[in-house]
Amino acid sequence: MNRRTVLGGLFAAASVPALSACASGVTSLDGSGSASGGGGSSKGGVTIGTANFTENQVLGYLYAAALKQAGVKVTVRPNLGTREIVIPALKSGDIDLLPEYQGALLNYLDPKATAAEEGAMQNALTLALPKGLQILPYGAAEDSDAFVVTRETAKKYGLTSLADLKKQNGKLVLGAAPEVKKRRVGAVGLKDVYGVDLKEFKSLDSDGPLVKGALKKGDVDVANLFTTDTDIEANDWVVLADPANLIPSQHIVPLIADRKADDTVRKALARLGNVLTTAQLTELNRLVDKDKKDPEEVADDYAKRHGLAE
Amino acid sequence: MYELLKNLGTWLTSGASWSGSDGITHRLAEHLQYSLLATLIAAAIGLPIGLLIGHTGKGAFLAINLSSFGRALPTVGLVVLVFLAGGLSMLPVYVALVALAVPAIVTNTYAGMTAVDPDVRDAARGQGMRGHQVLFQVELPLALPLIMTGLRLALIQVVATATIAAYVSFGGLGRYVFDGLAQRDLVQVLGGAVLVAVVAVALDLLLSGLQRLLFRHRTA
Repeated sequence: MNRRTVLGGLFAAASVPALSACASGVTSLDGSGSASGGGGSSKGGVTIGTANFTENQVLGYLYAAALKQAGVKVTVRPNLGTREIVIPALKSGDIDLLPEYQGALLNYLDPKATAAEEGAMQNALTLALPKGLQILPYGAAEDSDAFVVTRETAKKYGLTSLADLKKQNGKLVLGAAPEVKKRRVGAVGLKDVYGVDLKEFKSLDSDGPLVKGALKKGDVDVANLFTTDTDIEANDWVVLADPANLIPSQHIVPLIADRKADDTVRKALARLGNVLTTAQLTELNRLVDKDKKDPEEVADDYAKRHGLAE
Repeated sequence: MYELLKNLGTWLTSGASWSGSDGITHRLAEHLQYSLLATLIAAAIGLPIGLLIGHTGKGAFLAINLSSFGRALPTVGLVVLVFLAGGLSMLPVYVALVALAVPAIVTNTYAGMTAVDPDVRDAARGQGMRGHQVLFQVELPLALPLIMTGLRLALIQVVATATIAAYVSFGGLGRYVFDGLAQRDLVQVLGGAVLVAVVAVALDLLLSGLQRLLFRHRTA
């Protein structure tokens, strides 16, 4: 079984040069093709980069495990930094593959984009990506923004969805990272889409100790967290529903350089994308953040348990 | 680069960026308020300690090392620690700023006191002056230039560090730095940093001028 996968991988890799020559011939007809456009090859190995937070590292190692099983040589360069650093590194060839999030990536590429539903977002992303980069099919797991209140606050004001916040106009304090003040998925969108007037906006951190501490102590009423944060469940906090689709879909999506995107990589990552759920990803985050386990071990262990690694 | 400097110039000179609750005037006032209050609290703690250990010559080792401990504490870490313990208020910011300012005040006050010529101190005692008279009428005036230097150092450090108030949702010039970074607005970041530097240098010049004015009759 294993050997067949490896052989299949080799075959796919070996057949790529012919394919790419053909593809570049076709794309150059409409003037948009580059010499190297079309297919790529993972034969020389794939370098995976990750951004500087736990979940992205775990995802990077999960990608690595899935690719290794498919017979691809993998190097992981974890903790490189923010999108401002990793995307240029991807373009320049220092890394080849990156675990990304639909909405956040689209907002980085095109801040004016309005697509929010996952299918529309996939198309918008494909259009917005610079030459030489592409996204693969998105996975089932999603790490999106969430507006969260404590159980007591939810009961006190009768809050279940973002639309309910309007009833308490002028009373509630929102705590979030400084950028959320001017971002659509934040004070601006709450006002435009749900007609919410906040009492105050407090600039804290992005799903870190400050904003969670402030929510716990009641210094803020509503906090902007991420759906894969284990503290939400641990503290019995309530995630407010988003009936008007203000918060864009944030399914996890592989961002890859054209030069490495071949069938082997595509299939290995699609298989992982189908298996990994949001709840499982949350659990993996918890193992690293709370139990202080090594992200690589956590990812390898998960891959083994789910038949994604030998 | 040129474009950035041009935008910075526009930002610093446009009337819109100076007015309102998010304007430079208001942020500057907040920044000065945090800095001055923190330095005053630090002086109220550091000066008596420095004078006491300088005058008695006892406990210097402990006091100097303890206060230097405050200098070694990572400021942001201290802010988060006090915040997690006590909740969201200006308290974490003041604790961190005071911890930063106290060492400079204690060590310089102590240095000023020990630099007083022992013969002068002996002469004062020989004339029948009591302990507190020696302290306030002889030692303190002689140590004053170094004490002032300590206060100046403390204030400059505090002004430069008071930007962390913005880290826990409060105001001051740090608002521009933190918001600018988060919103990828480099002009705002740079503007905030330049303003902090200008305030620090201006305050330093002001205080050193004051110091020279006060001690103009002295040669050393």
